[in-house]
Amino acid sequence: MANKLAVKFLRASQIPTKACHGCGIGMLENWILQAIDELGWTCEDVVFGTGIGCVGRQNYATWGGDNFGATHGRALAVATGLKLAQPDKKYVIIVGDGDAAAIGTSHLVHAARRNLGVTVICEDNMGYESTGGQFSPTTPMGYVMNSSPYGMVEPNFDPCDLVKAAGATFVAEHTSVQYLPAIKTIKRALQNDGFSFVHLRFQCNENFGQYALGTRDTLKNLAWIEEHTTGRRADGTPTDFVWQTGIKHDASNSRPEFSAILRELAARQQLPHNGPHLPDNGH
Amino acid sequence: MAIELAAGSTLVAPWVEWSQRPLRGVKVLETGTYALTEGAIAAGCRFFAGYPITPATEIAEHISRRLPQVGGYYVQAEDELAGLHMCAGASLGGLKAMTASSGPGYTLMNDAYGWAIANEIPVVVVDAMRVGPVSGITGAPGQGEFYAARYVTHGGNFETIVLSPNSVQETFWLTIDAFNLAERFRTVVTILTDQVISDMQEDLWLPRDYDDLQDIVVPRRFNLDQPFYPQGSDAIDYPINVIGRGTGVCVSAYTHTPEGYDIEEMEAHWAQSYRLINKIRRHRDLLLRYEALGLEDAAVIAVAYGAAARTVKTAVLRARQRGLPVGFLRLITLWPFPDELFARDAQYLVCELNYDGQLVREVQRAAPDKRRVHFFGKTAELHTVAELTAALDALVAGRPLPALPYIWTALA
Repeated sequence: MANKLAVKFLRASQIPTKACHGCGIGMLENWILQAIDELGWTCEDVVFGTGIGCVGRQNYATWGGDNFGATHGRALAVATGLKLAQPDKKYVIIVGDGDAAAIGTSHLVHAARRNLGVTVICEDNMGYESTGGQFSPTTPMGYVMNSSPYGMVEPNFDPCDLVKAAGATFVAEHTSVQYLPAIKTIKRALQNDGFSFVHLRFQCNENFGQYALGTRDTLKNLAWIEEHTTGRRADGTPTDFVWQTGIKHDASNSRPEFSAILRELAARQQLPHNGPHLPDNGH
Repeated sequence: MAIELAAGSTLVAPWVEWSQRPLRGVKVLETGTYALTEGAIAAGCRFFAGYPITPATEIAEHISRRLPQVGGYYVQAEDELAGLHMCAGASLGGLKAMTASSGPGYTLMNDAYGWAIANEIPVVVVDAMRVGPVSGITGAPGQGEFYAARYVTHGGNFETIVLSPNSVQETFWLTIDAFNLAERFRTVVTILTDQVISDMQEDLWLPRDYDDLQDIVVPRRFNLDQPFYPQGSDAIDYPINVIGRGTGVCVSAYTHTPEGYDIEEMEAHWAQSYRLINKIRRHRDLLLRYEALGLEDAAVIAVAYGAAARTVKTAVLRARQRGLPVGFLRLITLWPFPDELFARDAQYLVCELNYDGQLVREVQRAAPDKRRVHFFGKTAELHTVAELTAALDALVAGRPLPALPYIWTALA
């Protein structure tokens, strides 16, 4: 374990993970660690929550502090209860595109609406890769995956637009070729006492790369990510589409955080006794 | 502890002793949902997340008023599976938690049930049963989740604890009991109630100060040391894992090691299954709750639970006044199933509020002679005393069960 951040924050017994060669998940976790480190936070300050799939499995229990790995899509539902019980902790919820944009979309929307004080890092490899490479709601339309052999026929959607509309107070998007800007963004996301959403697209060699792009070569897959981040191919021609990256919405600390609202409510309504609420019981 | 009730039946439940304590109290006329909510507050519940549904809505309404008064939190979840996951999260953070629903919402909870059971997270889940399947009849009683409450999630390799009350007063005590068992067994405890018991009003005695229940209520204790999961052990009263106290706890969706690390090895799954099954099976004596009359000498024993047991008990008492050799057995603990209560080689008349026959199949399995176990199913309303009297009279006389409108006796 040569990486200083890994030594400081991760569990030696749980890394390296079982991720495939060239997978971006370990690198993105390292970026998150760097952001946490630059904020001066420790393992005791932060709880890591994860979901199911590549992103859930590879990140789960790597963090040196407290960890939970929820059922598929439900990390934000668990975090809603947890944040109310332990409001002083920071929550980093690392989920995939399936967790965030498919099976768990309703929890994402409502956590954003409530302005729950968590930072969601949506690590998006544009498909269900741990089950062998099926398309997801973020797979580019027309691209071939193992369940879209004739090309993905459904329109995809941008989870950033969704959470912004739902009320998220910090929304940003980056790709796995944007090392330093992404870390700056994650730091700002973590400093929002409210719902932060950071969408990070990254390369998958084994499935998305192999089926959609026809290559398992890490550099070629990263080059494809780079091209669609800038909108230009190496030969200067425009790509078929381009991702809009950067901070998309920053209303950090502009409205009350959910657990703070409920704590204030309880403080206002608290009775002087612990018994049934009856007209003749001290009222 | 057992007690003989006024009508001559015997009640075996922890609240027999609790209700005899000289506590300062108040009497109100209230509903089952009110009693359930107050029982939860008295037991230390400080978190509720759920989605409104008839006939459990009043639990959400009442607890939304009550929780802030005791420093707790009410969350109206986006759906029931979110509600139970939120409860699991709150419980992991150290708050006693509860959710409540009826069949259509209860069926959405399977996902979260599995996560909470596998990770030994105490939560109380209430299912106020109504007629199904699907939305069925919203305001009519049913008993369709007898097996669903046992098999609350996929994959096998677990046991569950399910309790069912049949009066407003019992709902109050049983809810405290459910919270206690959830803490002691580190699991989800299900209260299977129904539309009648939830909505009806009865006299309800409540302690004036819930702090007076301190030696009844099992407090939350935190596990601040490893192992987080005593795999391969059947021990209970193990303190609860907590997130947010710096223990480094890991709570997994996968089969896990004692540290909580995900693992794909048969030995680890064996040890986890041993724990989840045997911590409950090996403590069945702590879980037995029932009311009975005449189990020692009856020729015909009528069996029921929840609201259905109310008219059944009346019919049995009247038949006994006429000198008939009939008995009454009301199950309060539904799971683990109390096989030991079916030792007598009698005829059993199993009365439940469904047409497919659920409880009756478990009685057939437990009783000495399954050919002498009879089904008497009705749905959407309680059996009448007249219907039950006709059935008891027939069985005592050695005749087949009478054919009655809206009552099913066929199991195949």
